[in-house]
Amino acid sequence: MKALLINMLLTTALLASAPSLAQDDPLRVGMSGQYFPFTFVEQDKLKGFDVDVMNAIGEEMGRDIQYETANFSGLFGMLESGRIDTVANQITITEERQKAYVFSDPYVYDGAQVVTKKGNTEVEGVEDLKGKTVAVNLGSNFEDLLQELPYADQIDIKTYESNLERDTALGRVDAFVMDRVSASQIIKEKPLPLELAGPTFSQITNAYPFRDTEAGRALRDEVNEALAALRDDGTLASISEKWFGTDITRP
Amino acid sequence: MDVLNVDYMLGLVPVLLRYLPLTLQLAGTGMVLALILACLFAVIRVLRIPVLNQLTIVFISFFRGTPLLVQLFLFYYGLPQLVSALTVIDGVTATIMGLTMHFSAYMAESIRAAIVGVDRSQTEAALSIGMTNGQMMRRIVLPQATRVALPTLMNYFIDMIKATSLAFTLGVTELMGATQKEASGSFLYFEAFIVAAIMYWVVVELLSKLQNHLEIRLNKAYSR
Repeated sequence: MKALLINMLLTTALLASAPSLAQDDPLRVGMSGQYFPFTFVEQDKLKGFDVDVMNAIGEEMGRDIQYETANFSGLFGMLESGRIDTVANQITITEERQKAYVFSDPYVYDGAQVVTKKGNTEVEGVEDLKGKTVAVNLGSNFEDLLQELPYADQIDIKTYESNLERDTALGRVDAFVMDRVSASQIIKEKPLPLELAGPTFSQITNAYPFRDTEAGRALRDEVNEALAALRDDGTLASISEKWFGTDITRP
Repeated sequence: MDVLNVDYMLGLVPVLLRYLPLTLQLAGTGMVLALILACLFAVIRVLRIPVLNQLTIVFISFFRGTPLLVQLFLFYYGLPQLVSALTVIDGVTATIMGLTMHFSAYMAESIRAAIVGVDRSQTEAALSIGMTNGQMMRRIVLPQATRVALPTLMNYFIDMIKATSLAFTLGVTELMGATQKEASGSFLYFEAFIVAAIMYWVVVELLSKLQNHLEIRLNKAYSR
């Protein structure tokens, strides 16, 4: 019993002294810069919902945020190889990813949405995707969501690095699947003939992944604290209102 | 939206121009290093230096036989997984490493061909007046081979400039990366990419002019 107690105390002490990011080190955040309106570039300036939330988190934590942009398919490699500390690119919590990373608390609640070219009457919901060609972003979890459908083998899934909205508008694919929030935003803001097809078909929660190491977990805890504070003082909600006109940070 | 948004294109020019120096730096550094490496490989292969010759053959076979993007991923994401200290290889370094090794493999072969193409009487004459192998290479063979190899080497340099557009996958925002990000912010893909295309084109055109100039100079000894 005593031994156990000492053991526990030692473990706690060890954990407390875990090597973590020095207090004045910047938090290195990876994003694609190609996911409107979460992360995108206008006139050389990185903008978007994810940028605003991260900046607020940084301020709350008292750390500078250092943004690293790369193609989406490269982001997890950068996280894995220790070149960035986390990814702020609407990363959805999935079982697969949870095996490899630890996630912060969710900061966006959303659903998967089918989008078609305007006037497409053949596809009016996820059940109509049978026998159709559907675009998803490479490395995103929407491909997995489609694979889980009972008729997945009848869907021709095409993965894209970027520009899938354009290809759908051009009619090269029948539809694309993305999260509802950014899909609605693209349709509202951008000059592409697209429309939402049916309701969302899967609830998704997005959060920040960290390496499953002591330093990574310490950083995750730090970010969680900041997130909770921003949630309580209404900052999260107001950033969401600014970009989407609605609060997507609550379930 | 069917009309070309010219204002947007003009506004994009100064923004994208900021990223052109990095593109040129990647290609320029890669080219200088690749040339040095390629000359070494070519000489090793022509002189059939034991061991080195075999190693060079394997090196060339690998770097010619695999896609550049695979090599870039290996250097940037793969190596740090084996040796965590190799995380110090940043995106720019990994890109330059990849370009250097990939293109040196190709260039070594075209330099070798140029060396082998120098007439046998030239090497025989050089050796007959007592030059060493090294002297013969430096003074007689390489200057003549340069003239032959120049057009193909320039071709590889042009190819390398365009290959830098892969660097954004390693987080290096060069001309192509900047364009991709701008395009996804505005959704004006045609406008953004045509501006980038023209920039690459202009750079390559300027290089072709330089090549003509160099060729005329190198051919002076042969004109009568």
